[in-house]
This record gives sequence, C-alpha cells and structure tokens, in this order.
Amino acid sequence: MTWRTHSKGQLYDANESTVVYFDAYSGDTHLLTDFAGFVVQQLSRQPLTTGELMRAVADSVDSDDILDLEEALTGVLGELVLLDILTRD
Amino acid sequence: MQLLKQLAPDEFSRRLSQGDMPLRIGPYVYNLQSNLPGVAAGIQTLYPDFRLAGRGDFVDYNVALLCRNTVQRLRGEAEFLFDMKAPFDPIPIGQAYAFLEWGMNWCVSLHTNEYLKLHAAVVSRGESAVIMPGTPGAGKSTLCAALGLSGWRILSDEHAMIPPNTTEVVPLCRPVGLKNESIEVIRSFSADAVLGPVSKETHKGVVAHMKADLQPDSHDTKHLRARAMIFPRYARDEPQQLSPRRRTDSFILAAYHSFNYSLLCETGFEAMKTLIENVDCYDLVYHDLDWAIRAMDGLPFLQGEQ
Repeated sequence: MTWRTHSKGQLYDANESTVVYFDAYSGDTHLLTDFAGFVVQQLSRQPLTTGELMRAVADSVDSDDILDLEEALTGVLGELVLLDILTRD
Repeated sequence: MQLLKQLAPDEFSRRLSQGDMPLRIGPYVYNLQSNLPGVAAGIQTLYPDFRLAGRGDFVDYNVALLCRNTVQRLRGEAEFLFDMKAPFDPIPIGQAYAFLEWGMNWCVSLHTNEYLKLHAAVVSRGESAVIMPGTPGAGKSTLCAALGLSGWRILSDEHAMIPPNTTEVVPLCRPVGLKNESIEVIRSFSADAVLGPVSKETHKGVVAHMKADLQPDSHDTKHLRARAMIFPRYARDEPQQLSPRRRTDSFILAAYHSFNYSLLCETGFEAMKTLIENVDCYDLVYHDLDWAIRAMDGLPFLQGEQ
C-alpha cells in the first residue's frame, strides 16, 4: 500500500508538540501532533509504502518498541485519511 | 491639512448632507453622507480631529446613512448605503449612528484583501503594537478603550491589517464600539472618555462608540511592528492571568479570527506564519481593567520603551 498527500502542503513547526499544516488541495489548515506532522512531511516529499514510512519513523524516534510505533503510525495514517490529507493506493 | 473640526457648523452640515465629507482614516478615504441630525452629531463628537481629504483625492469608500423618502421618514427608518446601494435592510433611525460605524467596518471587512485581516483590536506603546483578537463579548473593545484612556495608542478596535510576509500592522484608528455594561464601565473608568450617540435595542443591545484618537500620533499612517498577540477574555469569576500560549495553537485561533485567511490561501498561511513566529503569544484572563492594564504595561518587550 502506498501513501501520498493530496498536495505539497506547507508546515509550520514551532518546536512544540503540535504543528500547523496547510493543505493546498483543500485549502484547509490543520493543527496536528508533531508525529502526524512528521508523517505528512515525509509523504509531501514523495509517496511511500507503509514499510518505507515505518522505517522513516523508526529512524526518527528514540524507541525500541516497534509494535508501539506500528500501532501509532496506523492510527495517525487513519486520522490523516479521515482529514482528507492523505490518500492510499 | 484641514481637520473636520475646523469646518464652520453650516459648512459641516451642508457638506455632510451633500456627501462631500471625505475623511482620511488610516490608509483609506471614507466619504460620508447623512441627512440625520443624530449621525451628524456623532461624527462631530467622534471625528473632529480627523483630516479632510482633498477634493481630487481618491475615495475608497463612499458611505451614507440616509432617510431617503417619505415612507422611510414616516416609519422612522434609515438606510446604510455603500456607493449608493443598500446592502442591508433599513434600520430604525435611533440606531443609525451605530449602523454607520458597523457599515464602515463592513467596508474594510469585505473589500480589502491586500492585507491579512484579523478581527482584533490593535494598540501600541512606542513603536510596538499588540494585536488582540477576540470573539464578540470577549472584552477586547472594553480593554482597548481602557488602554486608550491609559496612554496606549489605539490603532484599531476592529481590524488588524497585516501586509503579507511582514510583522507590521497598518493603523486604522476609528471609534471604539462599546456594548451594554461596557459603556458604563468605561464612563466610570475615566472622565476623559468621549462617547458618541447611544443606540438602543440594536441586535447587539445598547451600543455607543468612544473617541479613539487620543494620542498626538493617533493619525500617523506609519506601520508599526507587532510584538505580541494577546487573546483577551473577560471572566468575572476566574483568576486573572497573563500566560504564554503556544504559537501553533495561536496560529489556528488567529486564523479563526481572520476575515480573509482562507481566501488568501497560501499567501494567508505564509502571512500568518511570518506573523506568529515573530510575536509573543499570550492569553489574558481579566475582570479588573486596572489589573489588565498593569499586565499589559509589564510586557517584556515594552520595558525599554517606557
């Protein structure tokens, strides 16, 4: 499964626990967790498979618990699809 | 340049009734017209120190508050007109002055998109401006009026106008709209408060406007640098506090308070980002105006300016 953003949106990251994401596809602005912001940022650069995304996430966070990361990523991907920021094919 | 108060009473009345009253208000020229004595009295009370534009100067907004015919006269109604078109239903003559001010706000809210516009009061001390967005009833106008009566300059009670990709605010000083209890609160706060006509039973309740150009530099058109964004909230039963808030939350809340953030799309996002990352953001919960003013006077970036 490959994930992609609808548009090359713009991110405002103030080094807080949340980021602001502007989706040029919908014109909507979202307040996202920094984790969701990281996922969106990765997918704004290029479409990624779930495995590629998981590796990018694992490289960026300080956690050995891969199961927790997978669960968190699955949850965030689902939320981003619901917000119509991401699509999958 | 001639000030409105320098017009002789007869000339003032004649020019206002003929629609020959072009006033310089911030970066704009509003040309006013009215045949209603209450509106004339309000303009004389609240705008005497505004400059008249020249006869050949470009007029941005042609606005009028007129009782246009016998039927309206018999009904005691008047109309707000923009370029001689009526965008709203007629209103009772007793509410005419409030409607003139709201109509003048509407002109800017609807028609100017060269700036990122927030629904906010803006005040300044020295060269530093503070933007105070707020929903109606949050207490921003009351606080704005009290700050104006305490040495702060009022840049606007309604619109923070920010040229995209700057941290500047464009001054647009006009009277401060006060509602219901706020009118007496401000009357009690300072004997220097100059209030215009009181409009009763409007959709916002009782409304009166306060003269806002109280400082020698009130009519300067130079843009000022925004240093803080403060979200005021009047709360009678809560502890008073001025507390920092996150920039990302503030971004979303400021966008909510914007007239045209969504309309500007990427330009709006970039403009808001530039603004938010260069101002300090705070929540201000207050129920005592003196306390709130002390809190504002104590803002860190102002300490070198006072």
